Amino acid sequence: MLLLPLLALFSLSLTRAAPADETRQSLVALAAAGGGLIKLDSASYDLLTAPNRDWSASIEFTALDPRRRCAPCKEFAPSWHSVAKAWTKAPKAHRDNHFFATLDFDDGQAVFQKLGLASAPVVYVYPPTAGPRAKGRSDPSKYDFSHGFEAEPLAQHLSNHTPIPIPYSKPFDWARWTTFGAGFLAFAVTLRFISPVLQSRWTWAIGTILVSLVMTSGYMFTRIRGSPFIGQDGSWIAGGFQNQFGQEVQVIAVVYGTLGFAFVMLTMVIPYQSAQRQRFQIYLWSTIIMLVYSILIVLFKVKNRGYPFRLLM
Amino acid sequence: MPTAFPLPSDLSPATVTNTASLLRIVALSLISGAAIASRLFAVINFESIIHEFDPWFNYRATRVLASKGFYEFWNWFDPTAWYPLGRVVGGTVYPGLMATSGVIYNFLHALNLPVDIRNICVMLAPGFSALTAWATYMFTKELKDESAGLLAAAFIGIVPGYISRSVAGSYDNEAIAIFLLMFTFFCWIKALKLGSALFGTLAAVFYFYMVAAWGGYVFITNMIPLHGLVLILMGRFSSRLYVAYSSWYAIGTLSSMQVPFVGFQPVSTSEHMAALGVFGLLQIVAFTQLVRSHVSSKQFQDLLFLALVTVGLLGFVGVVGLTYKGVIAPWTGRFYSLWDTGYAKKHIPIIASVSEHQPTAWPSFFMDLQFLIFLFPAGVVLCFHQLRDEHVFVIIYAAMASYFAGVMVRLMLTLTPVVCVASAVAFSSLLDTYLDAAEPAEAADDASETASASGSNSGSKKAKKATASAATPGSALGDIVAAATPAKKGEKVKGIFGLDTRLAIIVNAFGMLAFFVFHCTWATANAYSSPSVVLASTNPDGSQHIIDDFREAYYWLRQNTPETAVVMSWWDYGYQIAGMADRPTLVDNNTWNNTHIATVGKAMSSSEEVAYPILRKHDVDYVLVIFGGLLGYSGDDINKFLWMVRIAQGVWPEEIQEPNYFTPQGEYRVDDKASTAMKNSLMYKMSYYRFAELFGGGQATDRVRQQQVPKIGPTLDYLDEAYTTENWIVRIYEVRKEDLLGRDLKSANAFAKGKKRKRSKPVSRRRAIVN
Repeated sequence: MLLLPLLALFSLSLTRAAPADETRQSLVALAAAGGGLIKLDSASYDLLTAPNRDWSASIEFTALDPRRRCAPCKEFAPSWHSVAKAWTKAPKAHRDNHFFATLDFDDGQAVFQKLGLASAPVVYVYPPTAGPRAKGRSDPSKYDFSHGFEAEPLAQHLSNHTPIPIPYSKPFDWARWTTFGAGFLAFAVTLRFISPVLQSRWTWAIGTILVSLVMTSGYMFTRIRGSPFIGQDGSWIAGGFQNQFGQEVQVIAVVYGTLGFAFVMLTMVIPYQSAQRQRFQIYLWSTIIMLVYSILIVLFKVKNRGYPFRLLM
Repeated sequence: MPTAFPLPSDLSPATVTNTASLLRIVALSLISGAAIASRLFAVINFESIIHEFDPWFNYRATRVLASKGFYEFWNWFDPTAWYPLGRVVGGTVYPGLMATSGVIYNFLHALNLPVDIRNICVMLAPGFSALTAWATYMFTKELKDESAGLLAAAFIGIVPGYISRSVAGSYDNEAIAIFLLMFTFFCWIKALKLGSALFGTLAAVFYFYMVAAWGGYVFITNMIPLHGLVLILMGRFSSRLYVAYSSWYAIGTLSSMQVPFVGFQPVSTSEHMAALGVFGLLQIVAFTQLVRSHVSSKQFQDLLFLALVTVGLLGFVGVVGLTYKGVIAPWTGRFYSLWDTGYAKKHIPIIASVSEHQPTAWPSFFMDLQFLIFLFPAGVVLCFHQLRDEHVFVIIYAAMASYFAGVMVRLMLTLTPVVCVASAVAFSSLLDTYLDAAEPAEAADDASETASASGSNSGSKKAKKATASAATPGSALGDIVAAATPAKKGEKVKGIFGLDTRLAIIVNAFGMLAFFVFHCTWATANAYSSPSVVLASTNPDGSQHIIDDFREAYYWLRQNTPETAVVMSWWDYGYQIAGMADRPTLVDNNTWNNTHIATVGKAMSSSEEVAYPILRKHDVDYVLVIFGGLLGYSGDDINKFLWMVRIAQGVWPEEIQEPNYFTPQGEYRVDDKASTAMKNSLMYKMSYYRFAELFGGGQATDRVRQQQVPKIGPTLDYLDEAYTTENWIVRIYEVRKEDLLGRDLKSANAFAKGKKRKRSKPVSRRRAIVN
């Protein structure tokens, strides 16, 4: 099976000067062999981006070999494949006017050098230079990854360059719905056993407290901004007032939780204890409050350098 | 009965009560005074001036209201905003704020006090913060007692989280809205407690006021139904709930529809459907209860239950179906982006671009709430401990508001009241426990002790006080405090032994309070009291230097341009230009027309040749840009530029592409390495035009970006520099008219330059200000 595309390639590189129509036929064959996606090397890259093309092409430049250690490439590959696959569902007349291709770094270092690519993945869209769809420009346009690596925005954007919009539809997320269904079923079955837990106010109390602790520690900030768990240099606390790492959420939530818990102990537990224990606990928790509060102020001073106050530390 | 420290024994209970209530009044008035005083930093440091951006519109509208009357204001069509579209102000504004100032203005003038409308606008927010303190006191009193109420009032009076939106001069809707929010909640709790239609109606009236004052009324619209729903689910349906909710919903909804900007939204948008749904559910549940009380058959009751579930489900499916069909409008983008946090960035960049819509990092929480932020969970635990209907409300409020505050910095404002209330409950419980002089007897069954400690949980406070003081008349003062804390573990003895333990806690607690006061004062003075219209910097000798470039530029426009001259700027400055320069603007902070804003974005981010037809088609006479490169003012237009590009890209994806404005390495640069699109953009050219000349051949440095801009700056063919302010923060350009000979301006310019360099340049008097 592998031989066929190789052979086709070989014959293609021989018939370099052949008319564009013939090149197109071989590209079609290559695309069909690769399941809608042409696996390129330097030679077939030149073929696909021939100067007098009346087809368009979108090419993903990637480095999937484990030695290259390109994590984003691996992350992006499934989206690219699914969009390329979706294009095979387009009517044949349109399908053959646009090609999806992938060039791995190890297959075409020369091309990478020629284009001056220092990072991967990159997606270039080559517009047609001849034929009715030509718009008079031949240099490729780059896909903007600011929308992330998802297939949906990719398909949407590439549809601007294909003859007809890519018939991409989000695959049905079986895993998610199965998990959801199973979870719901399990809940319904065990409802009888866990209902005392659900009806206990303290279950809900723990839930509410956790929610408010996590939220007031900036969890949503890390979610929305996608901040890393720790910094690149291994520091866990980010400099700057309007910035934070994932680990800060945990530390701050624990600090707030400890301080809140100390107050709960002082008001709700300690008054019911005997004299000896009470005295010990009062001093213990007062010290804890002072210490942890001081730590909190120190942490805050890291974030806000101009803060003029300090406690014990 | 042993006491830890001696108490006066010759006080009658009446004296104690009277003194306590006098002290409460004194304390409340002191709190009001502190609340107002701490908001005056801005006036003292600068002057009595309207702050920021939105307040300038509110101020302008209030002036119209005060000078022309309510009727004119109501029908006001402003042709100068959103040129050439205009804006129907009366129908697109929450009029509560302006109406309030108008009423105060007319009232004072009726008393022959000729107060300027500007001073009323400046002082409105501090005044209402005193009322907020009072409303919070009332609300917290319903949760625990008066002492907790006083603490809550003190907290909300000075907490930076609320001050940030209510300093003197910050004349915005939030200034009165937080008072209305708290008072509506207080009325709702009171109505629910008493089952009173009077308080329900009062809640509805204040809800109406809130709807008229702030878009955030949707928070109330969903909080109260959620509270009702949770109470039903907890099996706490009662006729009190029915009366309170029905009276609030019916009157509140009908009256809220009288505000033109809201109109039929309460019955046609998803934001309001929860309230309607819970209203329907309550009717069904009430009906079921009624029938159940009259019918005994078990089968019939089962049938009824089934019918209830069916009707409920049908109603839900109906609402979903209507939404799907488009009869009920789905969530608006602003609201939806609270749940799906990625939504705004993808689909409505204009919402994502606003700085107060950014998510909140933890330092902001600590900055705004300080030690309240960790007392707050303790207070929520205490609410769970008691769990009366009103505590359920606080718990729901706490959970919802902490989520919202995490998603958007702006919504910290809705979290602040509940944090103050909950932490006041926690803190006053602590003080109650450790200030109480009574020491528990070691033996557990001291009769009087049990009586005073196990006051019934739901009984009225007066009764408890009576029991307490009757049981131990010797320590009346301490026991009033003690009695106010309900003890659930009735059998167990509660109390603190010894004096040192008490002192340890009390000293600690008061230390924390004092620290809070210092923190609040510092935060208010340093972070929240800048008018942002006037900037302040410090001279080398420590004295204050006022940077007044904005007003300088706006007054230049006012004095030197015809009244019909259209000014184009990024939308942030629209209200200020309208308010201070009194000139028509293309876009302003109302942001209702995304395409119009994108047009401005496109003009700013394209080259001169592309932008010129856009400017001419919109009759633009002057273009205004904010440039901070000389002074290091980071909120300038070059820093906002990417948002202009993004918003323009949303409408013209073919012509404007964000990656073109970055270097190939993906950096945002303004120096030699800047991308071609960046260098050719109108914004870049207007910002750096003749900037290098300022350095007299030396290396020109942009102080914000910390980059060295090219020595040969950009040239302008289609615009003329009209005015640049002292510190170069505001630069105004005049758009050239078409060439009289029909050449395009570029070649005309080249021709003129080739003939003779006649554009004499004035000697630059400007020098860099060292700050």
